[in-house]
Amino acid sequence: MMLELMVAASEDDSPWVLLLGGPIGGAATYWLIHRYYRNTDKSHAYERDTIIEADPVRGSEERTGHIAKTRKSGISGDNSGHHRRRVQRLR
Amino acid sequence: MTQELPPPPSPEEPAPSLAEELEAARAEPESPPSIETVNESLRDGINRCPKCGSTDVRLRGSSGMLMCLFCRNEWQETRVEERFGLGEGIRDLDGTVIASGAEDIAADAQDTVTFKCEGCGAEVVVDTAESLNARCHWCRHTLNVNSQIPNGAVPDAVLPFKLTKDEGVARIREFAGRRRLFAHPRFKEEFVPENVMGVYLPYLVVDAHADATYRGEGEVQTRRWTEKRGDDSVTYYAADVYRVDREVSFVVDDLTLEGSSERATMGPGNTNNIVNTILPFDTKNAVQWNASYLTGFSSEKRDLNVADLHPVLEDQLLSIGRSEVQASLRQFDRGVRWEAEGVDVGGSRWVAMYLPVWLYSYFQEDKQLLHYIAVNARTGETMGSVPVSHPRLFLAALTVGTFLEGIAGAILVASA
Repeated sequence: MMLELMVAASEDDSPWVLLLGGPIGGAATYWLIHRYYRNTDKSHAYERDTIIEADPVRGSEERTGHIAKTRKSGISGDNSGHHRRRVQRLR
Repeated sequence: MTQELPPPPSPEEPAPSLAEELEAARAEPESPPSIETVNESLRDGINRCPKCGSTDVRLRGSSGMLMCLFCRNEWQETRVEERFGLGEGIRDLDGTVIASGAEDIAADAQDTVTFKCEGCGAEVVVDTAESLNARCHWCRHTLNVNSQIPNGAVPDAVLPFKLTKDEGVARIREFAGRRRLFAHPRFKEEFVPENVMGVYLPYLVVDAHADATYRGEGEVQTRRWTEKRGDDSVTYYAADVYRVDREVSFVVDDLTLEGSSERATMGPGNTNNIVNTILPFDTKNAVQWNASYLTGFSSEKRDLNVADLHPVLEDQLLSIGRSEVQASLRQFDRGVRWEAEGVDVGGSRWVAMYLPVWLYSYFQEDKQLLHYIAVNARTGETMGSVPVSHPRLFLAALTVGTFLEGIAGAILVASA
Protein backbone atom coordinates (compact mmCIF):
# COMPACT_ATOMS: atom_id res chain seq x y z
CA MET A 1 0.00 0.00 0.00
CA MET A 2 2.80 2.34 0.94
CA LEU A 3 4.56 1.50 -2.33
CA GLU A 4 1.43 2.26 -4.35
CA LEU A 5 1.17 5.63 -2.64
CA MET A 6 4.77 6.37 -3.42
CA VAL A 7 4.40 5.44 -7.08
CA ALA A 8 1.24 7.52 -7.31
CA ALA A 9 3.05 10.45 -5.70
CA SER A 10 5.92 10.13 -8.14
CA GLU A 11 3.48 10.41 -11.03
CA ASP A 12 2.36 13.69 -9.54
CA ASP A 13 4.72 16.53 -10.14
CA SER A 14 5.79 16.74 -6.49
CA PRO A 15 8.60 14.18 -6.12
CA TRP A 16 9.87 15.56 -2.80
CA VAL A 17 6.68 14.38 -1.09
CA LEU A 18 8.12 10.88 -1.57
CA LEU A 19 10.71 11.57 1.11
CA LEU A 20 7.90 11.62 3.69
CA GLY A 21 7.28 7.93 2.93
CA GLY A 22 10.04 6.78 5.30
CA PRO A 23 8.93 8.60 8.49
CA ILE A 24 5.25 7.93 7.81
CA GLY A 25 5.87 4.24 7.13
CA GLY A 26 8.00 3.92 10.28
CA ALA A 27 5.40 5.62 12.48
CA ALA A 28 2.62 3.49 11.00
CA THR A 29 4.61 0.30 11.68
CA TYR A 30 5.18 1.33 15.31
CA TRP A 31 1.52 2.19 15.81
CA LEU A 32 0.14 -0.96 14.14
CA ILE A 33 2.34 -3.38 16.10
CA HIS A 34 1.67 -1.54 19.36
CA ARG A 35 -2.08 -1.78 18.75
CA TYR A 36 -1.85 -5.49 17.90
CA TYR A 37 -0.11 -6.21 21.21
CA ARG A 38 -1.92 -3.87 23.59
CA ASN A 39 -5.42 -3.77 22.02
CA THR A 40 -6.12 -0.39 23.62
CA ASP A 41 -8.73 0.39 20.97
CA LYS A 42 -10.90 -2.67 21.61
CA SER A 43 -14.20 -2.69 23.47
CA HIS A 44 -17.52 -4.51 23.45
CA ALA A 45 -19.53 -3.54 20.35
CA TYR A 46 -22.85 -3.40 22.20
CA GLU A 47 -24.51 -1.52 19.30
CA ARG A 48 -24.11 -4.67 17.21
CA ASP A 49 -23.87 -7.52 19.73
CA THR A 50 -27.05 -6.90 21.71
CA ILE A 51 -30.54 -8.11 20.85
CA ILE A 52 -32.22 -4.94 19.56
CA GLU A 53 -35.69 -4.62 18.09
CA ALA A 54 -36.15 -1.21 16.53
CA ASP A 55 -39.34 0.30 15.14
CA PRO A 56 -39.07 2.01 11.73
CA VAL A 57 -37.05 5.24 11.91
CA ARG A 58 -39.13 8.42 11.79
CA GLY A 59 -37.83 11.81 10.79
CA SER A 60 -37.68 14.69 8.39
CA GLU A 61 -35.18 16.79 6.50
CA GLU A 62 -35.54 20.34 5.32
CA ARG A 63 -33.29 22.17 2.86
CA THR A 64 -31.84 25.19 4.63
CA GLY A 65 -29.10 26.42 2.34
CA HIS A 66 -26.69 25.84 -0.48
CA ILE A 67 -22.91 25.80 -0.69
CA ALA A 68 -21.97 27.14 -4.10
CA LYS A 69 -18.26 26.31 -4.13
CA THR A 70 -16.04 24.50 -1.64
CA ARG A 71 -12.85 22.46 -1.76
CA LYS A 72 -14.00 20.17 1.07
CA SER A 73 -15.18 16.77 -0.14
CA GLY A 74 -17.45 16.21 2.89
CA ILE A 75 -19.34 17.98 5.65
CA SER A 76 -17.12 19.28 8.45
CA GLY A 77 -17.37 17.36 11.73
CA ASP A 78 -19.11 14.32 10.23
CA ASN A 79 -20.01 12.15 13.25
CA SER A 80 -22.72 9.96 11.72
CA GLY A 81 -20.45 6.92 11.94
CA HIS A 82 -19.06 7.66 15.42
CA HIS A 83 -21.92 6.41 17.56
CA ARG A 84 -20.14 6.91 20.89
CA ARG A 85 -19.13 10.54 20.32
CA ARG A 86 -21.68 12.35 22.45
CA VAL A 87 -23.10 15.72 21.39
CA GLN A 88 -25.25 18.23 23.23
CA ARG A 89 -28.02 16.54 25.22
CA LEU A 90 -31.64 17.49 24.63
CA ARG A 91 -33.65 17.60 27.81
CA MET B 1 -45.38 14.16 41.99
CA THR B 2 -48.99 13.43 42.86
CA GLN B 3 -49.86 11.92 46.19
CA GLU B 4 -52.90 9.81 46.74
CA LEU B 5 -55.10 11.09 49.49
CA PRO B 6 -56.23 8.55 52.06
CA PRO B 7 -59.90 7.62 51.71
CA PRO B 8 -62.18 9.41 54.14
CA PRO B 9 -62.99 7.26 57.21
CA SER B 10 -66.25 5.43 56.81
CA PRO B 11 -68.85 6.06 59.50
CA GLU B 12 -68.48 2.47 60.85
CA GLU B 13 -64.80 2.67 61.78
CA PRO B 14 -63.53 5.23 64.29
CA ALA B 15 -61.29 8.00 62.99
CA PRO B 16 -57.58 7.42 63.81
CA SER B 17 -56.24 9.33 66.79
CA LEU B 18 -53.68 12.12 66.32
CA ALA B 19 -50.90 9.93 67.71
CA GLU B 20 -51.71 7.17 65.25
CA GLU B 21 -51.75 9.63 62.35
CA LEU B 22 -48.35 11.04 63.36
CA GLU B 23 -46.97 7.50 63.66
CA ALA B 24 -48.25 6.64 60.18
CA ALA B 25 -46.72 9.80 58.72
CA ARG B 26 -43.33 9.02 60.28
CA ALA B 27 -43.20 5.46 59.01
CA GLU B 28 -41.16 5.16 55.83
CA PRO B 29 -42.95 3.45 52.98
CA GLU B 30 -41.68 -0.07 52.46
CA SER B 31 -40.62 -0.67 48.88
CA PRO B 32 -40.34 -4.36 48.20
CA PRO B 33 -38.15 -5.39 45.24
CA SER B 34 -39.97 -5.61 41.93
CA ILE B 35 -38.82 -9.16 41.26
CA GLU B 36 -38.03 -11.47 44.20
CA THR B 37 -35.30 -13.90 43.13
CA VAL B 38 -34.17 -15.45 46.41
CA ASN B 39 -33.67 -19.19 46.06
CA GLU B 40 -35.97 -20.28 48.87
CA SER B 41 -34.92 -23.92 48.79
CA LEU B 42 -31.42 -23.00 50.05
CA ARG B 43 -32.42 -20.83 52.99
CA ASP B 44 -30.28 -22.47 55.66
CA GLY B 45 -26.91 -22.02 53.90
CA ILE B 46 -26.55 -25.74 53.23
CA ASN B 47 -26.79 -26.82 49.60
CA ARG B 48 -27.55 -30.50 49.80
CA CYS B 49 -27.52 -32.98 46.95
CA PRO B 50 -31.22 -33.66 46.34
CA LYS B 51 -30.49 -37.38 46.10
CA CYS B 52 -28.17 -38.20 49.02
CA GLY B 53 -28.03 -35.04 51.14
CA SER B 54 -24.25 -34.52 50.93
CA THR B 55 -22.99 -30.93 50.79
CA ASP B 56 -19.92 -31.83 48.69
CA VAL B 57 -21.33 -30.16 45.60
CA ARG B 58 -19.35 -28.69 42.71
CA LEU B 59 -19.92 -27.37 39.22
CA ARG B 60 -18.99 -29.92 36.56
CA GLY B 61 -17.49 -27.74 33.83
CA SER B 62 -18.04 -30.11 30.93
CA SER B 63 -21.80 -30.37 31.50
CA GLY B 64 -22.44 -27.01 33.21
CA MET B 65 -24.41 -28.86 35.90
CA LEU B 66 -23.94 -29.21 39.62
CA MET B 67 -22.49 -32.55 40.64
CA CYS B 68 -22.50 -34.30 44.00
CA LEU B 69 -18.96 -35.57 44.69
CA PHE B 70 -20.41 -38.25 46.92
CA CYS B 71 -23.02 -40.00 44.77
CA ARG B 72 -22.21 -38.46 41.32
CA ASN B 73 -25.77 -37.19 40.93
CA GLU B 74 -26.06 -34.22 38.53
CA TRP B 75 -28.72 -31.51 38.47
CA GLN B 76 -29.08 -27.82 37.77
CA GLU B 77 -31.01 -24.81 38.93
CA THR B 78 -33.81 -23.39 36.76
CA ARG B 79 -33.09 -20.75 34.12
CA VAL B 80 -34.07 -17.29 35.37
CA GLU B 81 -35.21 -16.27 31.88
CA GLU B 82 -38.32 -18.48 32.12
CA ARG B 83 -38.61 -18.56 35.89
CA PHE B 84 -39.02 -14.80 36.25
CA GLY B 85 -40.24 -14.05 32.72
CA LEU B 86 -37.20 -11.93 31.87
CA GLY B 87 -37.47 -12.46 28.11
CA GLU B 88 -40.92 -10.99 27.70
CA GLY B 89 -42.88 -7.84 28.34
CA ILE B 90 -39.96 -5.48 27.74
CA ARG B 91 -42.19 -3.11 25.78
CA ASP B 92 -44.63 -2.94 28.70
CA LEU B 93 -42.01 -2.04 31.32
CA ASP B 94 -42.82 1.14 33.17
CA GLY B 95 -40.22 2.98 35.25
CA THR B 96 -37.26 1.17 36.79
CA VAL B 97 -37.91 -2.44 37.74
CA ILE B 98 -35.19 -3.89 39.97
CA ALA B 99 -34.75 -7.54 40.90
CA SER B 100 -33.98 -8.28 44.53
CA GLY B 101 -30.31 -9.14 43.88
CA ALA B 102 -29.71 -5.81 42.14
CA GLU B 103 -31.07 -3.64 44.94
CA ASP B 104 -29.00 -0.86 46.47
CA ILE B 105 -26.03 -1.96 48.53
CA ALA B 106 -26.30 -0.96 52.17
CA ALA B 107 -23.43 1.34 53.10
CA ASP B 108 -22.85 -0.35 56.46
CA ALA B 109 -23.01 -3.93 55.15
CA GLN B 110 -20.08 -6.09 56.22
CA ASP B 111 -18.09 -8.29 53.87
CA THR B 112 -17.88 -11.11 56.37
CA VAL B 113 -20.88 -13.28 57.08
CA THR B 114 -21.01 -15.65 60.04
CA PHE B 115 -22.91 -18.91 59.75
CA LYS B 116 -24.03 -21.32 62.36
CA CYS B 117 -23.23 -24.73 60.87
CA GLU B 118 -26.41 -26.79 60.67
CA GLY B 119 -24.34 -29.95 60.94
CA CYS B 120 -22.56 -29.37 64.27
CA GLY B 121 -23.45 -25.89 65.54
CA ALA B 122 -19.97 -24.38 65.07
CA GLU B 123 -19.63 -20.83 63.76
CA VAL B 124 -18.13 -20.46 60.30
CA VAL B 125 -17.04 -17.13 58.82
CA VAL B 126 -17.23 -16.43 55.06
CA ASP B 127 -15.47 -13.41 53.52
CA THR B 128 -17.93 -12.53 50.76
CA ALA B 129 -15.49 -10.18 49.02
CA GLU B 130 -13.71 -13.15 47.49
CA SER B 131 -15.69 -16.30 48.12
CA LEU B 132 -19.23 -17.35 48.89
CA ASN B 133 -18.67 -20.72 50.44
CA ALA B 134 -16.59 -22.14 53.26
CA ARG B 135 -16.11 -25.52 54.87
CA CYS B 136 -16.88 -26.05 58.51
CA HIS B 137 -13.51 -27.22 59.85
CA TRP B 138 -15.21 -29.40 62.47
CA CYS B 139 -17.68 -31.47 60.47
CA ARG B 140 -16.58 -30.75 56.85
CA HIS B 141 -20.01 -29.47 55.76
CA THR B 142 -19.82 -26.87 53.00
CA LEU B 143 -21.71 -23.71 53.92
CA ASN B 144 -22.86 -21.26 51.27
CA VAL B 145 -24.13 -17.71 51.22
CA ASN B 146 -27.57 -18.12 49.71
CA SER B 147 -29.67 -15.39 51.26
CA GLN B 148 -29.29 -12.06 49.50
CA ILE B 149 -27.25 -10.07 51.99
CA PRO B 150 -27.31 -6.28 51.53
CA ASN B 151 -23.61 -5.99 50.53
CA GLY B 152 -23.99 -6.81 46.85
CA ALA B 153 -22.30 -10.21 47.05
CA VAL B 154 -25.28 -12.34 46.04
CA PRO B 155 -26.80 -11.64 42.61
CA ASP B 156 -30.10 -12.82 41.15
CA ALA B 157 -28.54 -15.26 38.75
CA VAL B 158 -25.30 -16.94 37.81
CA LEU B 159 -23.99 -18.16 34.48
CA PRO B 160 -21.88 -21.26 35.21
CA PHE B 161 -18.41 -21.82 33.76
CA LYS B 162 -18.48 -23.83 30.54
CA LEU B 163 -14.83 -23.75 29.42
CA THR B 164 -12.56 -25.89 31.56
CA LYS B 165 -9.33 -24.50 32.97
CA ASP B 166 -7.27 -26.40 30.37
CA GLU B 167 -9.26 -24.81 27.55
CA GLY B 168 -8.79 -21.38 29.13
CA VAL B 169 -5.04 -21.94 29.49
CA ALA B 170 -4.81 -23.12 25.86
CA ARG B 171 -6.55 -20.00 24.58
CA ILE B 172 -4.35 -17.68 26.66
CA ARG B 173 -1.22 -19.52 25.51
CA GLU B 174 -2.28 -19.21 21.88
CA PHE B 175 -3.09 -15.50 22.27
CA ALA B 176 0.28 -14.68 23.84
CA GLY B 177 2.09 -17.07 21.46
CA ARG B 178 1.02 -14.97 18.48
CA ARG B 179 2.52 -11.92 20.19
CA ARG B 180 6.00 -13.06 21.15
CA LEU B 181 8.39 -11.15 18.89
CA PHE B 182 7.86 -7.67 20.34
CA ALA B 183 6.71 -8.71 23.82
CA HIS B 184 8.46 -7.35 26.87
CA PRO B 185 11.28 -9.80 27.78
CA ARG B 186 10.20 -9.99 31.44
CA PHE B 187 6.65 -10.86 30.40
CA LYS B 188 8.00 -13.74 28.31
CA GLU B 189 10.19 -14.96 31.19
CA GLU B 190 7.40 -14.83 33.73
CA PHE B 191 4.58 -16.08 31.50
CA VAL B 192 2.82 -18.92 33.33
CA PRO B 193 -0.67 -19.32 31.85
CA GLU B 194 -1.41 -22.08 34.40
CA ASN B 195 -1.80 -19.24 36.93
CA VAL B 196 -5.07 -18.28 35.26
CA MET B 197 -7.89 -17.52 37.71
CA GLY B 198 -11.50 -18.50 37.25
CA VAL B 199 -13.46 -15.45 38.38
CA TYR B 200 -17.14 -14.65 38.49
CA LEU B 201 -17.44 -10.95 37.70
CA PRO B 202 -20.52 -8.91 38.68
CA TYR B 203 -22.71 -7.45 35.95
CA LEU B 204 -26.09 -5.81 35.75
CA VAL B 205 -28.11 -7.09 32.82
CA VAL B 206 -30.67 -4.60 31.58
CA ASP B 207 -33.78 -4.90 29.42
CA ALA B 208 -35.15 -1.53 28.34
CA HIS B 209 -37.30 0.26 25.83
CA ALA B 210 -36.41 3.81 24.82
CA ASP B 211 -37.10 6.63 22.37
CA ALA B 212 -34.08 8.43 20.96
CA THR B 213 -34.11 11.77 19.13
CA TYR B 214 -31.33 13.25 17.01
CA ARG B 215 -30.89 16.65 15.35
CA GLY B 216 -28.17 17.75 13.03
CA GLU B 217 -27.11 18.91 9.62
CA GLY B 218 -26.55 16.92 6.46
CA GLU B 219 -25.16 17.78 3.05
CA VAL B 220 -26.00 16.42 -0.41
CA GLN B 221 -23.54 16.98 -3.25
CA THR B 222 -25.09 18.67 -6.26
CA ARG B 223 -22.05 19.19 -8.48
CA ARG B 224 -18.37 18.40 -8.72
CA TRP B 225 -15.90 19.99 -11.13
CA THR B 226 -12.18 20.69 -11.54
CA GLU B 227 -10.48 23.93 -12.38
CA LYS B 228 -6.94 24.45 -13.68
CA ARG B 229 -4.68 26.64 -11.58
CA GLY B 230 -1.36 26.96 -13.33
CA ASP B 231 0.07 23.45 -13.36
CA ASP B 232 -2.33 22.10 -10.72
CA SER B 233 -5.95 21.11 -11.05
CA VAL B 234 -8.27 21.73 -8.09
CA THR B 235 -11.51 19.86 -7.42
CA TYR B 236 -14.52 21.88 -6.25
CA TYR B 237 -17.90 20.80 -4.91
CA ALA B 238 -21.35 22.35 -4.62
CA ALA B 239 -23.84 21.03 -2.08
CA ASP B 240 -27.31 21.47 -0.63
CA VAL B 241 -27.46 21.81 3.16
CA TYR B 242 -30.31 20.14 5.06
CA ARG B 243 -31.51 20.20 8.62
CA VAL B 244 -31.93 16.54 9.63
CA ASP B 245 -34.26 15.20 12.34
CA ARG B 246 -34.49 11.54 13.26
CA GLU B 247 -36.39 9.59 15.90
CA VAL B 248 -36.34 5.89 16.68
CA SER B 249 -38.02 3.71 19.30
CA PHE B 250 -36.34 0.45 20.17
CA VAL B 251 -36.16 -2.38 22.67
CA VAL B 252 -32.88 -3.80 23.99
CA ASP B 253 -32.72 -7.24 25.54
CA ASP B 254 -29.91 -8.17 27.96
CA LEU B 255 -27.61 -5.17 27.64
CA THR B 256 -24.73 -6.05 29.97
CA LEU B 257 -23.08 -3.41 32.19
CA GLU B 258 -20.11 -3.80 34.55
CA GLY B 259 -21.27 -3.89 38.16
CA SER B 260 -17.91 -3.24 39.77
CA SER B 261 -16.45 0.27 39.83
CA GLU B 262 -12.94 -1.15 39.54
CA ARG B 263 -13.82 -2.74 36.17
CA ALA B 264 -16.13 -0.01 34.90
CA THR B 265 -13.45 2.69 34.71
CA MET B 266 -11.66 2.40 31.39
CA GLY B 267 -8.74 4.48 30.25
CA PRO B 268 -5.01 4.54 29.53
CA GLY B 269 -4.20 3.86 33.21
CA ASN B 270 -5.63 0.34 33.11
CA THR B 271 -6.52 -2.48 30.73
CA ASN B 272 -10.15 -2.90 31.79
CA ASN B 273 -11.26 -2.50 28.17
CA ILE B 274 -9.88 -6.02 27.62
CA VAL B 275 -12.37 -7.53 30.07
CA ASN B 276 -15.10 -5.40 28.49
CA THR B 277 -14.27 -6.70 25.01
CA ILE B 278 -15.04 -10.35 25.80
CA LEU B 279 -18.73 -9.47 26.23
CA PRO B 280 -21.38 -10.55 25.26
CA PHE B 281 -22.24 -13.65 27.26
CA ASP B 282 -25.18 -15.95 26.56
CA THR B 283 -27.05 -14.41 29.49
CA LYS B 284 -30.26 -16.15 28.44
CA ASN B 285 -28.79 -19.34 29.93
CA ALA B 286 -28.20 -17.84 33.40
CA VAL B 287 -29.64 -19.94 36.21
CA GLN B 288 -31.04 -19.16 39.62
CA TRP B 289 -28.51 -18.46 42.35
CA ASN B 290 -26.83 -21.37 44.03
CA ALA B 291 -23.48 -20.70 45.69
CA SER B 292 -22.27 -24.21 44.81
CA TYR B 293 -21.67 -22.94 41.26
CA LEU B 294 -18.88 -20.83 42.80
CA THR B 295 -17.04 -23.58 44.64
CA GLY B 296 -13.42 -23.50 43.52
CA PHE B 297 -13.75 -20.14 41.77
CA SER B 298 -13.27 -16.66 43.15
CA SER B 299 -15.77 -13.87 42.77
CA GLU B 300 -15.73 -10.10 42.77
CA LYS B 301 -18.39 -8.21 44.64
CA ARG B 302 -20.76 -5.75 42.98
CA ASP B 303 -20.32 -2.22 44.33
CA LEU B 304 -22.37 -0.16 41.87
CA ASN B 305 -26.07 0.45 42.27
CA VAL B 306 -28.69 0.87 39.57
CA ALA B 307 -28.67 4.66 40.09
CA ASP B 308 -24.90 4.78 39.44
CA LEU B 309 -25.36 2.93 36.16
CA HIS B 310 -28.32 4.89 34.80
CA PRO B 311 -26.03 7.42 33.01
CA VAL B 312 -24.09 4.50 31.49
CA LEU B 313 -27.34 2.93 30.28
CA GLU B 314 -28.48 6.21 28.69
CA ASP B 315 -25.10 6.66 27.01
CA GLN B 316 -25.27 3.17 25.51
CA LEU B 317 -28.89 3.64 24.43
CA LEU B 318 -27.93 6.87 22.64
CA SER B 319 -25.17 5.02 20.79
CA ILE B 320 -27.52 2.17 19.87
CA GLY B 321 -30.08 4.69 18.56
CA ARG B 322 -27.40 6.37 16.46
CA SER B 323 -26.43 3.09 14.86
CA GLU B 324 -30.12 2.36 14.19
CA VAL B 325 -30.73 5.65 12.33
CA GLN B 326 -27.50 5.47 10.33
CA ALA B 327 -29.10 3.48 7.51
CA SER B 328 -31.63 6.29 6.94
CA LEU B 329 -28.88 8.80 6.10
CA ARG B 330 -27.72 7.36 2.78
CA GLN B 331 -29.01 10.31 0.73
CA PHE B 332 -26.57 12.65 2.54
CA ASP B 333 -23.54 11.59 0.54
CA ARG B 334 -21.36 14.34 2.04
CA GLY B 335 -22.17 13.14 5.56
CA VAL B 336 -24.19 14.18 8.58
CA ARG B 337 -23.07 16.11 11.65
CA TRP B 338 -25.28 15.40 14.67
CA GLU B 339 -25.52 18.43 16.94
CA ALA B 340 -28.05 17.44 19.60
CA GLU B 341 -29.46 14.17 20.88
CA GLY B 342 -31.80 12.95 23.56
CA VAL B 343 -33.07 9.69 24.97
CA ASP B 344 -36.19 8.91 26.94
CA VAL B 345 -36.01 5.60 28.76
CA GLY B 346 -39.61 4.45 28.96
CA GLY B 347 -38.87 1.49 31.19
CA SER B 348 -35.99 -0.71 32.30
CA ARG B 349 -35.54 -3.96 34.18
CA TRP B 350 -32.29 -4.66 36.08
CA VAL B 351 -31.04 -8.08 37.05
CA ALA B 352 -27.71 -8.73 38.82
CA MET B 353 -25.66 -11.61 37.45
CA TYR B 354 -22.31 -13.28 37.98
CA LEU B 355 -20.63 -14.05 34.66
CA PRO B 356 -17.62 -16.39 34.30
CA VAL B 357 -14.19 -15.24 33.10
CA TRP B 358 -10.80 -16.95 32.94
CA LEU B 359 -8.43 -14.14 33.83
CA TYR B 360 -4.66 -14.06 33.48
CA SER B 361 -3.03 -10.94 34.85
CA TYR B 362 0.51 -9.65 34.62
CA PHE B 363 1.77 -6.59 36.52
CA GLN B 364 4.30 -4.53 34.55
CA GLU B 365 6.41 -2.87 37.22
CA ASP B 366 8.16 -0.19 35.17
CA LYS B 367 4.83 1.20 34.00
CA GLN B 368 2.81 0.24 37.10
CA LEU B 369 0.22 -1.24 34.78
CA LEU B 370 -1.80 -4.42 35.25
CA HIS B 371 -2.22 -6.27 31.95
CA TYR B 372 -5.08 -8.73 31.50
CA ILE B 373 -5.61 -11.59 29.12
CA ALA B 374 -9.26 -12.58 29.51
CA VAL B 375 -11.25 -15.51 28.17
CA ASN B 376 -15.03 -15.54 28.08
CA ALA B 377 -15.71 -18.84 29.84
CA ARG B 378 -18.93 -19.38 27.85
CA THR B 379 -18.08 -18.41 24.28
CA GLY B 380 -14.29 -18.73 24.38
CA GLU B 381 -13.76 -15.21 23.05
CA THR B 382 -10.25 -14.14 24.05
CA MET B 383 -8.72 -10.69 24.28
CA GLY B 384 -5.63 -9.40 26.01
CA SER B 385 -2.99 -6.82 26.47
CA VAL B 386 0.63 -7.91 26.10
CA PRO B 387 3.34 -5.49 27.35
CA VAL B 388 5.62 -4.44 24.49
CA SER B 389 9.37 -3.99 24.36
CA HIS B 390 9.68 -0.41 23.08
CA PRO B 391 13.34 -0.68 21.95
CA ARG B 392 12.47 -3.65 19.71
CA LEU B 393 9.42 -1.90 18.39
CA PHE B 394 11.47 1.21 17.64
CA LEU B 395 14.04 -0.88 15.79
CA ALA B 396 11.31 -2.48 13.64
CA ALA B 397 9.81 0.93 12.83
CA LEU B 398 13.27 2.29 11.96
CA THR B 399 13.97 -0.67 9.65
CA VAL B 400 10.69 -0.28 7.76
CA GLY B 401 11.14 3.52 7.58
CA THR B 402 14.70 3.21 6.25
CA PHE B 403 13.63 0.61 3.66
CA LEU B 404 10.81 2.85 2.37
CA GLU B 405 13.10 5.88 2.34
CA GLY B 406 15.59 3.89 0.25
CA ILE B 407 12.88 3.10 -2.33
CA ALA B 408 11.81 6.76 -2.34
CA GLY B 409 15.40 7.84 -2.96
CA ALA B 410 15.74 5.33 -5.81
CA ILE B 411 12.55 6.59 -7.48
CA LEU B 412 13.74 10.19 -7.15
CA VAL B 413 17.15 9.40 -8.67
CA ALA B 414 15.52 7.48 -11.53
CA SER B 415 13.06 10.25 -12.35
CA ALA B 416 15.68 13.08 -12.09
